[in-house]
Amino acid sequence: MKRSELQNNLAMTIALISAAMLFVTLFMGYAVYRSSAEAWPPVGMAHVSLTLPFLSTIFIAVSSWFCFQVKNLVAINDLKRANRNLNLTMLMGVGFMISQSFLWLQLKESGIYVTSGIFASVMYGFTWIHAVHVIGGLLALVYLKIVLRPKTNELLQKTINVERFWHFLGIVWFAMFMGMFVF
Amino acid sequence: MDFLQFSVSSNWFKLSMPVEDISTNGHLIDGLWNYTTLLGIFYFILVCIGLFGFSYLYSHKRSKTPYYTYGNKKKHLFITAFIGAAVFLSVDLNITRLSNNDMLAVFWKWPDPKTEKVIRVEVMAQQWMWSFRYAGADDLFGTADDIVTNNDLRVPMNTKILFHLTSKDVIHSFFVPSVRLKVDTIPGRITRVWWDANKAGQYDIACAEMCGTHHYLMKASLTVYTEEDFNKWLNASQTIAMTTNNPEDKNLAWGWKWEY
Amino acid sequence: MSGGYNEIHPEPTTFWSKYIISFDHKVIAKQFMWYGIFFLGLGGMMALLIRWTLTYPGQPFPIIGNLLFPHSAGVVPPDSYAMLFTMHGTIMIFYAITPLLIGAFGNYCIPLMIGARDMAFPMLNMLSFWFAFLSGIVLVASLLLPLGAAAGGWTSYPTLSTMIGSPGAGQTLWCVAIFLFGVSSTMGAVNYVTTVITLRAPGMGYFDMPLTIWGLWLTAILNAIFVPVLGAGVILLTMDRVMGTTFFLAGASATSGSGDPVLFQHVFWIFGHPEVYILILPAWGIVSDLLSFFSRKPAFGAKSTALAMTAVTILSTLVYGHHMFTTQMSPLLTQSFMTLTMTISIPSAIFFANWLGTIWKGSIRFDSPMLFSLGVVFVFGLGGLTGLHLGTVSTDIYLHDTYFVVGHFHYTMAASVLLGGYAGLYFWFPKMFGRMMNETLAKIHFWGTMIPLNGIFFGMLMIGYGGMHRRIYNPFVYESLQRLIPINTLVTQSAILMGAFQIVFVINLIWSLYKGKKAPNNPWNVGTLEWTIPSPPVHHNYDVIPVVKCGPHELGNPNLKNGRDFQYQTEELVQGPA
Repeated sequence: MKRSELQNNLAMTIALISAAMLFVTLFMGYAVYRSSAEAWPPVGMAHVSLTLPFLSTIFIAVSSWFCFQVKNLVAINDLKRANRNLNLTMLMGVGFMISQSFLWLQLKESGIYVTSGIFASVMYGFTWIHAVHVIGGLLALVYLKIVLRPKTNELLQKTINVERFWHFLGIVWFAMFMGMFVF
Repeated sequence: MDFLQFSVSSNWFKLSMPVEDISTNGHLIDGLWNYTTLLGIFYFILVCIGLFGFSYLYSHKRSKTPYYTYGNKKKHLFITAFIGAAVFLSVDLNITRLSNNDMLAVFWKWPDPKTEKVIRVEVMAQQWMWSFRYAGADDLFGTADDIVTNNDLRVPMNTKILFHLTSKDVIHSFFVPSVRLKVDTIPGRITRVWWDANKAGQYDIACAEMCGTHHYLMKASLTVYTEEDFNKWLNASQTIAMTTNNPEDKNLAWGWKWEY
Repeated sequence: MSGGYNEIHPEPTTFWSKYIISFDHKVIAKQFMWYGIFFLGLGGMMALLIRWTLTYPGQPFPIIGNLLFPHSAGVVPPDSYAMLFTMHGTIMIFYAITPLLIGAFGNYCIPLMIGARDMAFPMLNMLSFWFAFLSGIVLVASLLLPLGAAAGGWTSYPTLSTMIGSPGAGQTLWCVAIFLFGVSSTMGAVNYVTTVITLRAPGMGYFDMPLTIWGLWLTAILNAIFVPVLGAGVILLTMDRVMGTTFFLAGASATSGSGDPVLFQHVFWIFGHPEVYILILPAWGIVSDLLSFFSRKPAFGAKSTALAMTAVTILSTLVYGHHMFTTQMSPLLTQSFMTLTMTISIPSAIFFANWLGTIWKGSIRFDSPMLFSLGVVFVFGLGGLTGLHLGTVSTDIYLHDTYFVVGHFHYTMAASVLLGGYAGLYFWFPKMFGRMMNETLAKIHFWGTMIPLNGIFFGMLMIGYGGMHRRIYNPFVYESLQRLIPINTLVTQSAILMGAFQIVFVINLIWSLYKGKKAPNNPWNVGTLEWTIPSPPVHHNYDVIPVVKCGPHELGNPNLKNGRDFQYQTEELVQGPA
């Protein structure tokens, strides 16, 4: 492996470990809250319907798949199709954000406000923190779109870095979906 | 430079001794402290002998040619490993064992009100005062005949006192230097501590955890009575409580059901 | 993110690109150094205000008291007192020691000592400084708020740090500042770890790295893993404060639901205990190197020192619970944390054995860096051994939250790290600025720091054992604590004395910067890579990337015939006749 590739891979790995630690801490807190609560969700609060979270999961999974294609296409230097796939990735990413926004609206309509206790805190707080990272990921995709041209130095390496971050966000969301909504 | 005068006139180490231990078990903590300190001093003297001794012996003036070694000969590695093991076995495992024994045999061995005579007290901490609650005549907490005092804890001597503590607002810490014990009071959960005192008198209770601007004023007094005096005080307080406790008073309504 | 890949970058030409938005690790190191020294002074002033208040309650602080506290005639009021110790802790840990030890030495030493032309990611490095700068501005700005800065202690335990205990924006800004600083630290960490792994000069194995680099590298690893944990904690705390969530709220004052204030303590100390080692590891590394350099013999058991550092790094992640014994965790957790905590003394004992082994049979030069290094061994001995009392559950129950704790962690985190930092500064100053510092002033500074320092922190241990608890505005409202007045006075007077001697350092620093003797390339006669190049180094450090052929501590080899008692890392190890 070239030194520059090694450096980029290594740095991205460390950065992802750092970001993962942030979410691990949140999950640790979630485990504490959930295991010490008498009932989850608390008495008087309805289970959150799975429809929207499931839709979000579909969106982010499909966008991850498109993102994977972007990398493959950049690797064979087919920038035109890569660009199309990148657009689809971003579209799906935006779709995820819209789906999440509806999820928050739905929570609010069912009487679960941010201030109504620890269940609501977890539901809103954790998804917000994840959403902020998704916005960061979308900005990275925009950056990738800007540099997606033949003359860019180390285009593949940049694509791989953005792709890894995007997959990371998908994995975190999947963990949240399973841990907080399904079970 | 008034401290120079002081150092002549009084014994500093005596000054820094903790206040007199009035509890049956506080000596365990003092004893372990002394033991740890002696071991610590022993090893610190070894470090100082090395540090100052080598600095003197092997200064550039006295030692022109250094001994060229990486310190990775078998002999050296053995000595290093030996020092590491010696410290760990002689100090760490030792005090861990002693402390663990003390905790299991005494400080975590909660007295059981069902089988022995125990005075139970509920403690509520808030910015910036301590409230104490005794069960009163019906032996139940959270009822109208509870005796509630503020910043004033009174207990009999030679009786186990079991405290259940919580906090209304922020985290405080119930610190009774005279019995060497301390426990945090945490909003939303109940912590426990027990001790028995064997010396009548008046002592300090402090809040040890930063709890806001007037943290330093959050002190209460602890009065240790003889059994007789305590009963006298308890009866008098019971009468007062019966006549003056207002069940509507929100400030009095903080008692909770005593569990476990 | 685009890497530097060890190419020669063109030298910047404008003032702006040379000194402000510089990508050069040497300039960034100096930026961090001035930043750290500024906050060290600020935090030190706060310490003096705290000490004055404790010893002379109700008396106006001399000279600047009236300026700072006009409404109370120069007396520090209780609410300002709480802000002072909160800010003192925060500033010293995050804004003084971290930038000095990790920001300045990390940036300066890592590329130079491993033979690289710059960090792996120069731009990330620049961003790291400016994030830290922004964070510093947010923190200082919070001091000017109408309700004042954060006042819940540097640990900021909820629920005191939530709206229940701290109204006003101070605590929120504290969270923002810490988060920004965390981002900066993480950026630095990503850079340091990558640089050490990928940019070592050809021939340099991990055990050929100077121990300074080992310390900084392990620190960076800990930073990358554990700073985000605190990040998560302060995000949740900010949400509790700003958006009305209840992550850390419980009890009667929480209107609904029940969070868990103790969870924050867990999160804080999962980060906080490694943070202690984040601060001390670079100092350990520097001291391990300097003891060897000035004893003119190889570092005793350098490999085992490096491995012991690694062991401490791993153990530091498993012991945090000893900060929380008084919260009554389950007995099983308590016992586990006590036992794990105790195992840290094995690698610590190995350090001491190796340090003493290094000066044993040496030929010791007592130059100022060496004096400070020996000082570290002394104060860290005291700090480490008093840790035993606090790692033991039953004694900790009495000592927790007393001045004994304050004395202990100042010995380990403040005294050792500060002395280690001074050692490094006196040692690398000639390389950084091309001039020597004045040795006489340096020695005055050493003794003027070392002696009062022990007065302060040993005094704290004594009053702590005497039962005086932490963070109280006026200890003498307790009659039983009034007997401690003389010791308290000694502590304060020592602090003033130590503060005064730091002026010697500042004078020496400024004077040497302009008027110091020109430094030769290798004033200390040691063989690590940074001394093979001119002082100060050229922009790209190495014209030709050096090839490393021997370890960093090749001193006192009797087979050397070239008139030197050391050899450079670029030279083949001189072997004796077999």
